[in-house]
Amino acid sequence: MSDKSINEKNKLEHQSNTDTALTKQEKKTLKSMFLWSHTVFMNFNMTKMQANGFTMTMSPAIQEIYKNDPGGMKEAYARHQAFFNTNAVPFNFIAGICYALEKQCKEGNVPGKTIDAIRASLMGPTAGMFDSLFFNCLRVIAAGIGIGLCTSGNILGTFIFIGMFGVLQSVTKWFLLKFGYTLGTSFIDKVFNSGLMTVATKAVSLLGLIMVGAMTATTVSFPLNWTIAVGEASVSVVDIFNSIYQDILSVILVLIMMGLIKKGHRPLQLIIGLLIFALLGAMIGIF
Amino acid sequence: MVSAAIACAFTYFLIYFIDYGFLSWQCLNRPIVVGPIIGLLLGDPLTGITMGASLEAIFMGISAIGGSIPSDCLSGTIIAVAYAILVGGDNAVATGLALAMTIGTVMASLNSVMMALWSGLAPFWENLAQECNPKKFFFINLVVFMIAILPSSVVIFFSVAYGVDGIQAGLAACPAWVTTGLSTAGTMMTSVGFGILLAMIWSADIAVFYFVGFILSKTLSISSLGIAVIGAAIAITYFFIERDIIAKSHASIEASQNNNEPTQKPANTEEEFF
Repeated sequence: MSDKSINEKNKLEHQSNTDTALTKQEKKTLKSMFLWSHTVFMNFNMTKMQANGFTMTMSPAIQEIYKNDPGGMKEAYARHQAFFNTNAVPFNFIAGICYALEKQCKEGNVPGKTIDAIRASLMGPTAGMFDSLFFNCLRVIAAGIGIGLCTSGNILGTFIFIGMFGVLQSVTKWFLLKFGYTLGTSFIDKVFNSGLMTVATKAVSLLGLIMVGAMTATTVSFPLNWTIAVGEASVSVVDIFNSIYQDILSVILVLIMMGLIKKGHRPLQLIIGLLIFALLGAMIGIF
Repeated sequence: MVSAAIACAFTYFLIYFIDYGFLSWQCLNRPIVVGPIIGLLLGDPLTGITMGASLEAIFMGISAIGGSIPSDCLSGTIIAVAYAILVGGDNAVATGLALAMTIGTVMASLNSVMMALWSGLAPFWENLAQECNPKKFFFINLVVFMIAILPSSVVIFFSVAYGVDGIQAGLAACPAWVTTGLSTAGTMMTSVGFGILLAMIWSADIAVFYFVGFILSKTLSISSLGIAVIGAAIAITYFFIERDIIAKSHASIEASQNNNEPTQKPANTEEEFF
């Protein structure tokens, strides 16, 4: 027993030493990820939002890790095609963590479900934090300086604005990517060495569920506008549902979608179905 | 007029392409940057710079929250500055400034309808990503992205070349149920993404926390950071309780083993175990 614990301690020390200095391959991959991470909003759509940008950002990492494992590579690509949406800056932080996790996933130390859950639980809070930091604070300051100069016709204001608000985002993105990667590595070392990966996965999934619930409340809506005339009186259908719980319809909608996905329906069917449903509903006047 | 319209449409296309596709700063589309560029292209940089500053102040509070943009400052600025320079005079600047927000709102709703329509491609992207060919994935993304910007660029061209009134009349001619239906579909589309995400992390014993998250946000109106702190507290507590349970069960197994071998010391090593 004591031998084993000494071994583990050595292993821990060894790993924490390697954490501080990134290898050449890691640096190369991180640099490549950094460049790709500027495509966050390319083909942004309402179903998966930034999923394409995230897939492209993760592609150098996936290509490096699953070089000799086509099945794992396919799974990894599918994993990072899932819904994703956060501020463009902490986007890199999550990508860095995912790079570290994918490495361990290849080794079989981390189940893919943990990665899904960590992506889901981090995007909400980071979005809130960095939206207010960059949009409501930094951009206001940069615009204030820029407007002051530009009102008197000085083009320098524009360049100061781009430098303060734009370039600074890229700089922050690079550091957050590296920070996410080292954090992810040390986190996994600790949890994995304690042999509690399944418990950790469940805990992270729990957090993920809470965050998806919160995001459902803020982004999904079911704008029903339907009143049924019953004799003299008229009944608003939305009010009936809202009296059960406010906006319960959006929860029901998401749960129906999840049920259909679990039953093996393809996303395309759901999307086209929703589109037809919305158009027909609008035509007969329930929206 | 037509050459100015082409310049404006091209600027719209290029700024959208670079900023959303290759920088993701949401910075180059701001009035303070777009104003001077349009001013330079249409031969009146000073008006461009000063109008850019005024428009930046107007659009300051508006930013994309949760993927829905209330008013698109890029198109608003382009048309407002172009109008002011092409018509000329002090009145034109004031009219241009007044126009900007209206046009921005119209263009933002057009963009959100387009985004809802483009979500039809989501399964296609999924399959494409699973081909494990990042170069091909990027290339097709690039092509689709350029096609996706075209409709708005064409609208910009027509509004500069033939006036904004025509565009508004065109939108009004579209039956109301089409626009209502499309915008409704847009707000519901996100549920598909969440459905897929939930299907991956759902397990029956912790599923109730999905509803907890919904209630924390909807009813108690806690910000996402606040909910994250509450969620993290629950998750960490859950983790440590489970860890202790596992540690105890290991310790009892160890203790029973130690009883079989009385030469060993009793198990006081469980602290080192983790």
